[in-house]
Amino acid sequence: MTQQTRSGRMRKSAGVVAFAMATSLVLTACGGGSDAGPGDGKTVTILVIKHPLTKKMTDMTWVAELEKNADVTIKWEEVSADWDQKKNPMLAAGDVPDLIIGANAITDSDLATFGSLFEDLSDDLDALPNVKEMFDQVDGAQLLATSLDGKINSIPSYKRFWPQTVTHQYINQQWLDTLGLATPTTWDELFDVLVAFKEGDPNGNGQADEIAMDFAPLGTTGFGYFQPTALLGGTGMTISGGGGSGIILEDGTVENLFADERYKELVSFLNRCWEAGLISEEAFTQDYSTYQSVARGTGDEARVGFSWGWSGSDRFGPGVYEQYSAMASLPAEAGQSEDVSWSYDFENLTRNHVTMSAKAKNKDAVLRTINEFYSTDTSIQVLFGDIPTNVEKVSDTDFNVLPPADANLDPSTWKWTSSLADNGPIFIREDLNVELPSDLAEAVQDAVPLQPAFDGLDADKFVWPGLFIKMSSEDLSTIALNNTAIFGLAMPKFAQWITAGGVEEEWDSYVSQLDTLGVTANNEIHQKYYDEYIASK
Amino acid sequence: MAVAIDRRPPKAKKTSSKITKSGQPTKAGPRLKRHFARQWQLWVMLAPAIGFTAVFAYGPMYGIQLAFREFDFSKGITGGDWVGLKYFIKFFESPQFWTLMSNTLTISLSTLVFGFVAPIGLAILINQVLSRRRKRFTQTATYLPHFISIVVIVGMLQVFLSPSTGLITRFLENFGITGINFLGDTNTFVPVYVISEVWQHCGWNSIIYLAALASVDTQLYEAAKIDGANRFQVIRHIDFPALVPTMVILLILNMGGVLNAGFEKIFLMQNTLNLPVSEVISTYVYKIGILGSQFSYSTAIGLFNTAINFTFLVITNQIAKRVSNTSLW
Repeated sequence: MTQQTRSGRMRKSAGVVAFAMATSLVLTACGGGSDAGPGDGKTVTILVIKHPLTKKMTDMTWVAELEKNADVTIKWEEVSADWDQKKNPMLAAGDVPDLIIGANAITDSDLATFGSLFEDLSDDLDALPNVKEMFDQVDGAQLLATSLDGKINSIPSYKRFWPQTVTHQYINQQWLDTLGLATPTTWDELFDVLVAFKEGDPNGNGQADEIAMDFAPLGTTGFGYFQPTALLGGTGMTISGGGGSGIILEDGTVENLFADERYKELVSFLNRCWEAGLISEEAFTQDYSTYQSVARGTGDEARVGFSWGWSGSDRFGPGVYEQYSAMASLPAEAGQSEDVSWSYDFENLTRNHVTMSAKAKNKDAVLRTINEFYSTDTSIQVLFGDIPTNVEKVSDTDFNVLPPADANLDPSTWKWTSSLADNGPIFIREDLNVELPSDLAEAVQDAVPLQPAFDGLDADKFVWPGLFIKMSSEDLSTIALNNTAIFGLAMPKFAQWITAGGVEEEWDSYVSQLDTLGVTANNEIHQKYYDEYIASK
Repeated sequence: MAVAIDRRPPKAKKTSSKITKSGQPTKAGPRLKRHFARQWQLWVMLAPAIGFTAVFAYGPMYGIQLAFREFDFSKGITGGDWVGLKYFIKFFESPQFWTLMSNTLTISLSTLVFGFVAPIGLAILINQVLSRRRKRFTQTATYLPHFISIVVIVGMLQVFLSPSTGLITRFLENFGITGINFLGDTNTFVPVYVISEVWQHCGWNSIIYLAALASVDTQLYEAAKIDGANRFQVIRHIDFPALVPTMVILLILNMGGVLNAGFEKIFLMQNTLNLPVSEVISTYVYKIGILGSQFSYSTAIGLFNTAINFTFLVITNQIAKRVSNTSLW
């Protein structure tokens, strides 16, 4: 089930919300109803966006605890489907509950339009010590919460432990061992290894059915996770979100990867791989579920040599994932001067998790409720489930996330069944020791080889801080319009150059064409916001 | 009784409208009154349909003004500043314009032509060749694919046409056709789209022709046989003329959708390799409007699309009226 959902979402969208990779559960179903909890304080109404699998709020024991600690009675309104359709009439009517909770449930553009409906919390921070603590501790959290005009209408979530990147790189270690090869350390070595994979029958079934390299299907609207743009890290370029609309930052200057020489270098390399038959011949036409299922091989016989994914077991399935090992970012050339980098995805800090109505009746009670959500114990339980059924509390700073009580569930599904999980307002503090559930622990483990790519990185100058940039709707629409034209040219060219070649001859005219489509204009707009952002930092 | 009433309204309507037109409004009042007094039952029966059309087809049309306004969330659909034809001009001047138009026309015209001819052929074949029992079976078998959802159809195409494992790709290899990626090649996108479209809807669309053929008087066939006509002559001189009115009406209706290359199927079949030929107006509108939040711009493109369709509909109707004396109005 997790699988299907993931593929469904990924199919055509390049810039899919990253986190869904780990958990990937946005389905449609009906849910709802409201219940008053115990507690004897003032009543607080909360609308909560939750996953359809998630059990009723009143069935979670942390809810009763929260009510007790904050001395409130919570009236829940639970929404698990069609939130976008419900939201607009609700906002237009100006009828909002005391709190709205959900991952980006109220977006920046909602706040820009309907901001007056929501309480500006910037003057209430004294009543929110936990939130204040998060703003102090977590770099960028306050910035993320603050709108262009200096108001704080919504509060983000911070979960440490999440790896900095969604795309992890894998190679089939067993095949390397079988063929007596070493892990490649440059693109050229990778090429040789892939050729050996293709020709040496490393899975030993006597057929040349090995796919040396495979990547996630490309969308027609920019790049996304698990796509070959991941290799760009090897040229020293730091992309974000797998590439997205191509905006990158080079020592404080905004550029677009679509018009970058290093991108051309990547395309030539991939073209070389394609001509040698190293890339799955279906890479450009298969859908996401095929991409996933092919890599799972048959039984314990693997089919793919080199690929990208979120975690080994998710990408390659229970049968063969142990054959794979995570890899570091590969430099394009041996001894190059640029340090390698990798896709930097901002996974820990996520925006707009709770908003408060400007017309809340019991303001103090509502503030107490918000504050309680961001406390250590509540945050842990909101994310992973109740203590003691889902989480074992060892001490005030040590927690163990327990394996699913239902053996049929994987840890991710179990988490989403038990609690609000990533939808909730959460602050997982830096000083906590948490034994993570196996799926997350694995992703963290798989990110370790990539860590050196981030070590020397000056994020302020080389990572496009898309998360923190809030643009005016006019600029957004200019960018969107330019992007549609740019993607219309660049995405097919990418595929065409890889499969049919011609990048060398066509590059110059392509770059000047990109310019007429608005690449430079887009860069300038981004640059303007970046300069403001850096100045305010 | 019902039949008796049924026959009258067109006559009554015609006379009343004629009189209003010829400039005698004083008489229209009582006539209209009499018309309603006599035929109110029919109007009551029609009321839900009229209401539905008014509310769901004409009502939302006030949103068309979005194409001429600068859309502003806070001011609502009707509140934005009037910008006239700005968005239309933007579309005509966009570098994508001619590509979009030619892609859309290529796909929809070829679908229209093949999708129009194939069901006629199938209907005549079924009618002529098969015995009654087999006819029924064949008819059912050919229209069943119509009910498969588009997502599944595209999934099937992807499986069958996969360059390494596809059933059809493998089959074609026997004939020496190799090395073509049917899903990604810019030359094969339109054929794959059209053939699968015809395959899926041919049987369903032939039902209406079969119904027309069923109404042909069997005496004509007998007479033709006695006169020594062969199968082709029977088809040419009996079946075909019987189908012409239906064909013309369907052609007019189809022409009304000439620029409506189906969004879902094309969008699902799109990939980076075939994008140069698979980007059509509807997918572009989706990308601009929904993904890029350019509501005014996408409304303008949509309205342009509808205007072209409407023009085609009117032209075809006029031509049909002249040529074959069959028309919608």
